[in-house]
Amino acid sequence: MVGFLSATLNGILVAGLYTMMSFGLALIYGVMKLVNLAHAGFIMLGAYATFALYSQFGLDPFLTGIITGPLFFFIGMGLHKYVVRRLPESGNTPAVQSLLLLFGVWLVLQNLGYLIWGGDTRSILTSYTMKSVSLGPILIAMPQLMVFLVTSVTGIALNYVLAKTYLGKAIRAVTQNKGAAQLVGINAPRIQMIAFGLGIALAAMAGGLTSTIYPFTPDFGRSFLLKAFVVTVLGGMESFWGVAFGAGLIALLEQYSAMYNFYPNVFTDAVTFTLLVVALVVMPKGLPSVGNQLVKFVQPWFEKTFGRKAVAGS
Amino acid sequence: MKRYLGPAAAALLVIALFSGPGYLERGSLNDIWNVSLYVVLASAWNIMGGMAGQVSFGYSAFLGMGAYATVLLCLHGWNAYATIPVGMAVAAVFAVIVGLPTFRLRGPYFTIATIGVSEAVRVFAQGVEWTGGSSGRRMPIQYGDFLHKWLPDVPRGQAIFLENYYAMLILAVVVVGTVWYIQRSRFGLALAAIKQDIDAAEALGVSATWFKVRAHALSAALMAIAGSLFAINFQYIAPNSVFAFNMSLQIVLMPVIGGVGTLVGPIIGGVVFGYLQIKLLTIQALRDSNLLIYGMLLIVVMLFEPRGVLGLIDRVVKFVGRGLPKARKEARHAA
Amino acid sequence: MPHEVILQAKGVTKRFGGLTAVNNVSFEVTQGEIFGLIGPNGAGKTTLFSCLVGAYPPTSGEIYFKGKRIDGMHNHAVVRMGIVRTHQIVKPFREMSVFGNVLVGASFGSKPKSGAVAAKFVGEILKFCGLAHRAEAPASSLTIGELKRLEISRALATEPEVIMLDEVMGGLNPAEINDAMALIRQIRDSGKTVLMIEHHMKAVAGVCERAMVLNFGNKIAEGTTRDVLNDPRVVEAYLGDHSAAG
Repeated sequence: MVGFLSATLNGILVAGLYTMMSFGLALIYGVMKLVNLAHAGFIMLGAYATFALYSQFGLDPFLTGIITGPLFFFIGMGLHKYVVRRLPESGNTPAVQSLLLLFGVWLVLQNLGYLIWGGDTRSILTSYTMKSVSLGPILIAMPQLMVFLVTSVTGIALNYVLAKTYLGKAIRAVTQNKGAAQLVGINAPRIQMIAFGLGIALAAMAGGLTSTIYPFTPDFGRSFLLKAFVVTVLGGMESFWGVAFGAGLIALLEQYSAMYNFYPNVFTDAVTFTLLVVALVVMPKGLPSVGNQLVKFVQPWFEKTFGRKAVAGS
Repeated sequence: MKRYLGPAAAALLVIALFSGPGYLERGSLNDIWNVSLYVVLASAWNIMGGMAGQVSFGYSAFLGMGAYATVLLCLHGWNAYATIPVGMAVAAVFAVIVGLPTFRLRGPYFTIATIGVSEAVRVFAQGVEWTGGSSGRRMPIQYGDFLHKWLPDVPRGQAIFLENYYAMLILAVVVVGTVWYIQRSRFGLALAAIKQDIDAAEALGVSATWFKVRAHALSAALMAIAGSLFAINFQYIAPNSVFAFNMSLQIVLMPVIGGVGTLVGPIIGGVVFGYLQIKLLTIQALRDSNLLIYGMLLIVVMLFEPRGVLGLIDRVVKFVGRGLPKARKEARHAA
Repeated sequence: MPHEVILQAKGVTKRFGGLTAVNNVSFEVTQGEIFGLIGPNGAGKTTLFSCLVGAYPPTSGEIYFKGKRIDGMHNHAVVRMGIVRTHQIVKPFREMSVFGNVLVGASFGSKPKSGAVAAKFVGEILKFCGLAHRAEAPASSLTIGELKRLEISRALATEPEVIMLDEVMGGLNPAEINDAMALIRQIRDSGKTVLMIEHHMKAVAGVCERAMVLNFGNKIAEGTTRDVLNDPRVVEAYLGDHSAAG
C-alpha cells in the first residue's frame, strides 16, 4: 500500500515536470501548427543557463526561472521573427520544410553546446538536493517537490493568462481558427511570435528545473522531447489541462511499471515510444477528444435513462 | 547529343570507380567506400522521403535490421552474403507493418511517429539479450572469403578489402539504377502524384496506401542491404551505432541538402557529406562539428533553397541562361 | 447502350458530427444523359459528389453503379470502376506538366495504360479538350480556364462511364463558358454520362436535360430542367424568403 501511494505521489510530482516540458511544445503547435523540434535544444540551453547562473552567481536554481524565462522569451521571439517567419509559404509541404528547419536549429544548438561545454555530464547540487521530506511513511525528494511547486505556480499563472487576459484569449482564438481571429482584428503574426517566444521560454525553464533532478549533457533534450511528444499527443495539443492529464498518465505509468515490474526497466522508454505511435494512429487529437466522443456516444442513452444530460452543454 | 551526356558521364564514372584499385591507393578507396555507403543510404531514403513525400526520421531501424540479421546469422554459420535477403525481408516486413497504420498520418505527425518507432526499436535492441544488449555483437572471424577463393594469389587482407569495396560499389550502382528506373516508370509517376496532391491522386485511381507501402518496403529493403554490408565491413555493430537517432538524422540530411526527390540530389548529398566528414576528421578543432555544419546547412537550405544544392544549381543556370540572347529568345517562344 | 439507369442513390445521408450535410437524398441517372445538380451554396452538392465517388462513405444510404453497390468503396476503387469527379477548387499536380497530369489519369484509371499507348491516348485527350498546345507547360503556369480544362482532361483520361463535374464554369468568361458547354456536350456524345454541379443557370438550362435541386441537404425537386427551374420552391430556395412581393 505504501508502495502504491509512494509511486502515485512521485508520479504526480514528475507529472508536473513533464507538463512544464510539454506545454511549450503544445502551445507552439496549437498556435502555428508547427512541430518544434528545436524544443529539445532549448530544454538543454535552459539547463546549461541555469547551471551557469548557479555556479557563477550562486543563484538558487529554482529562482533562475525569473531570469531564464524572459531571456529565452526574447530569444524565442527573435528566432521566430528572423528565422521561422522567413520560411517561404508554399502549397503542399510547408510543414515538412518548417520541421526540417527547426530540426536544423536543434542540431546547431546541440552541437554548439558540445563545442562550448563539451560532452561531460553535469549536474546541479545544492544544499538541499539530497534532502527529502517525509509524508508519513513516504519519502519525497526535495528537488522533486520544489520542481512541482514551481510548475504549479507557473501553471496557475499560465492558466490565468490564457483564460483572463487579452493575450491569452487571442492565443486561444488563433489556435482555433487563425483566419477568423484575423477577421476580428487580432494581429495573428504578432500573436504567433509571442506564443513562440512563450513556448521557448517554457522549454528553457523546464530545462532549468529538470537540471535540478537529472544530470545533463548537450544531448539532454532528446529523450525528453519524445516524452513531450507522447504527452502532448495523448493530452491533445490544445489545452493546458489536457497536457497535464497526458503528463500525469505517462508519469504514473512509469512509476507503476517500475514499482510493480510490468516489464523490465530497460524497456521503459521503448514502451513510451510505442505508446506515442499508437496514440498518434488511434487518437491524434488526444485523449480529451476520445473522451468527447465517448460522451457523445453515451449521452442519448444517459438522457433516456436519467432524464438529463450527462455532461452539461454538450 | 545532349541527351546522352548524362548517361555517358555516369558510365565513365562507374568505369573509373570500378577500376579504382588499379590506380588509387587504399586511403582513397576507403573514402570511396564511405561515400558510396552514404549515396546508398541517401538514395534509398529518397525513394520514400523525396519521391513519395513521406519524411521518415526512423530509417536507422532498417539499417540496423540488416546489420543484425547478418551478424546473428553469421554467428550461426551462415555465409555473410546469404544473409542479405533475410535482412531485406525482415526490414520490408517491418516497413509494411509499421507503415500501414501510420501512412494515414499527415505531414509532421507521420514524422514524429517514425521517430517513435525508430527509438523504440533502438531501446528494445539495447535491452534484449540476443542482440547483445547495448554492447552489441561481433561478426565471426571466418567470413568474406569470396574473392579470396577466386584470386588465391592476392593476400587475404587485401582480398577482403577489395571484396567490400566492390560490394558497396555494386550496391550503389544498383540503388541509383533502381531510382533512375522508378523515375521513369508508372510507379514513380504514382509516387509523384501522391507527393504533390494525395487527394487528387486518389481521385484519379491511384491507391495511395498501396503505393506508399511498396515504396516503403523497397526503401527499407535497400537500406537493409547497406546494413548487411556495414556489418561485414566494420565487423562490429551496436544499437548505438546502427540504430542511432544520429544515423537516422544523417540519412535525412544528405538527400535534403543535396536535392530531395531527384536522382542526383542524394548523390550530391552523399558525396558532400562523405567528404566533409573525412576532411573534418583531420582537423582536430573541428572534429565533432560536422553535425553543427549540417545543422547550419539545413537551416540555410530550408530558408533559401528548399530544393537543395541541385535547386541552387538550377537557379544559377536559369539566371545565367537568361542573360544569353539565344536563351531569351527561346524563353519567349516557350511562354 | 440503351437508356438504363447507370447511377442510383437511395436515401444517402452524410453527417459531419452535428451537421447533416446531405439528408436522405435519392435519385437516378440514366446512361447518356446530362444531369444537373443545383442548389444554393452550402446545399450539400459537393458533399453528395464526394459520397458518390467514395472520397468518404455516406453515413447511411446506398449507392449503385450499374446495379452494383459501391457505397463504402474507396475513391480509387470507384474510379477504376468508371466513375470520376472533378474538383470545384482545381487540384492540379503543380510540379508536373499538363501531359504528366493527364498521364496520371490514363495510367491509373479504369483502363490503365502505359508506355507509348498511354502517351498517344493522352495526346488525344489533350486535343479533345483543347490543351494540346500546352502539353509541355508546367501546370503551375496555366490560366484558370486552362486549369479547369486540365481538371476535365485528367478525369476523362481515366476513361469513365460517368463523369461528375463540380462547378466547372466558375470563374470563366462568357466565351469560355460557351466552349465549356460545347465540350460537355461532346463528352456526352462520346458515350459518357455527365453529372454537373453548376451555379450558372444559363449553362444548366443550355446543357442539362434533367436536374435535381438540393437545399440544406434535402432534395426539393427533380425533373426536366425546364420544370425544375420554373418550380416555385426552387425559386424560393435561391431567393430566400424575400420573394418579389416583399
